[in-house]
Amino acid sequence: MELNLLQKINAAAEFIRSRITIAPEIGLILGSGLGGFADEIEDAVKIDYQDIPHFPLSTVEGHAGKLVIGKLQGKNVIALQGRFHYYEGYSLEQVTFPVRVFKALGVSTMIVTNACGGITQSLHPGDLMFITDHINFIGDNPLIGKNFNELGPRFPDMSTAYDKGLITLGKQVAAELNIDTKEGIYTAVSGPYYYSKAELRMVKGFGSDTIGMSTVPETIVAVHMGMKVLGISCITDMADPDNLVPLEHAHVVAVANEARPKFIRLVAGIIQKLP
Amino acid sequence: MSAIAASTDYGIEAIQAAADYIQSKLKGLQPEIGLILGSGMGLLADLVENPIHIHYSEIPGFPVSTVEGHAGRFVIGQLEGRNVLVMQGRFHYYEGYPIKATAMPVWVMKKLGISILVVTNAAGGVNAGFEQGDLMLITDHINFAFNNPLMGPNIAELGPRFPDTSQAYSARLQTVARSVSTTQGIHLQEGVYQFNTGPCYETPAEVRLAKHLGADAVGMSTVPEVHAAAHCGIEVLGISFISNLAAGISDKALSHAEVVETMDIVKDKFIRLVRGIVQEM
Repeated sequence: MELNLLQKINAAAEFIRSRITIAPEIGLILGSGLGGFADEIEDAVKIDYQDIPHFPLSTVEGHAGKLVIGKLQGKNVIALQGRFHYYEGYSLEQVTFPVRVFKALGVSTMIVTNACGGITQSLHPGDLMFITDHINFIGDNPLIGKNFNELGPRFPDMSTAYDKGLITLGKQVAAELNIDTKEGIYTAVSGPYYYSKAELRMVKGFGSDTIGMSTVPETIVAVHMGMKVLGISCITDMADPDNLVPLEHAHVVAVANEARPKFIRLVAGIIQKLP
Repeated sequence: MSAIAASTDYGIEAIQAAADYIQSKLKGLQPEIGLILGSGMGLLADLVENPIHIHYSEIPGFPVSTVEGHAGRFVIGQLEGRNVLVMQGRFHYYEGYPIKATAMPVWVMKKLGISILVVTNAAGGVNAGFEQGDLMLITDHINFAFNNPLMGPNIAELGPRFPDTSQAYSARLQTVARSVSTTQGIHLQEGVYQFNTGPCYETPAEVRLAKHLGADAVGMSTVPEVHAAAHCGIEVLGISFISNLAAGISDKALSHAEVVETMDIVKDKFIRLVRGIVQEM
């Protein structure tokens, strides 16, 4: 008989627990070009996704596909180096499975990062933005299907999906480190194609500041389970419909790489200040 | 994705089998009006006289309801002297059913000879003029679920390949509802209902988006059923109960308990209105 979601989560968590000696408190999901941050984790235990029961396998270029568990700024962290995207063909249940496992391992705070397109004119490539809210325009939801009350409620509230206290903390840390940051709304679309001008105009009309292909499913599932979420986007290109240049993934990675040092300083600073 | 296995394709054979089974339990009774009751509204079914109860689980080809607060059965009998078939509990897309399954009961109603459908739901108020506890006459809808029950092979004996939904909510029945609400002194809001998949409540940004799109309320049901009704030519009346103000419209966190609590407070108003409308149809 096929295992249900709870049993799969527990099997994966049990396997990971058997490989580590610390209890992770902070979960990190590292987006395009930011996976290198996991290299800074000390006393790191690295586990390939393919070794973890029920874990999907990462396929996209620039995503390594490892769990890295260890110490950052004296805190116990677990990092997803390479995430799962809906556009790769995974179900949203698969995309969000690692977040479920993080929670089962005791993680209470999630830092979710991504590379995305800026729509609002006040954003520029290389900017870092705290996500204040999101629009799920994927056309699917990771909570569709049977609800497990052990994990969270059938109808979770999303009125403050991104924790206000964490955004305040993030802004304080950014100010101390002299890193300029923005705030804004993130819209998730399925991808994998970059949007047409007409579609970008539509998303602009939605009131969104950015557009990307990730993060929202993971946030929904984290909030479902009562975790606190901090979302940070790195603006890698401008998706302004009226000033559009043709886009390549290599360029996105290049901008993300350039922004990486300050991004790493910011996230490390936030982790240090987390209670 | 879903733990619920599709036991059928919810096509014409399943629809016919379900209709035949229900028919065999009706002892010649001919239902004319179908009612689908939303969250917290199931109690209206208890007012049906000479009720015949048929649990969804015993009907061949039917899905089974799982959500809290939804019973999952047909109640067939008389309400205000009219023969009604009430769905106490419906099938939601967020439960993991194929979207066809959520609409299938309406096609079964068509097979049973039903010509009028009253759909009700609990919805979040997006229109700033709405208050918690308001009732809203649905004048139109927006399908924001990226899916619909008419995808797939068309069942030509039930309706056309490309059904018109420009008048999915009957103007005639809306006039009846307005007239009854005036007579009874019940304030009836009007507006556009947007169907989101759920099951999480909307974020404030998603609520502003719904407003931008022209919606007055957001919810997680009804639209697939109305698609099926429009497809097979059943006249529809839709009533939303504004159980809460959507995220960002109100500062409060949203919970299903609140939906049920608000319904308890305003259920009398809702029941009076629906009974009045059924009487005047």
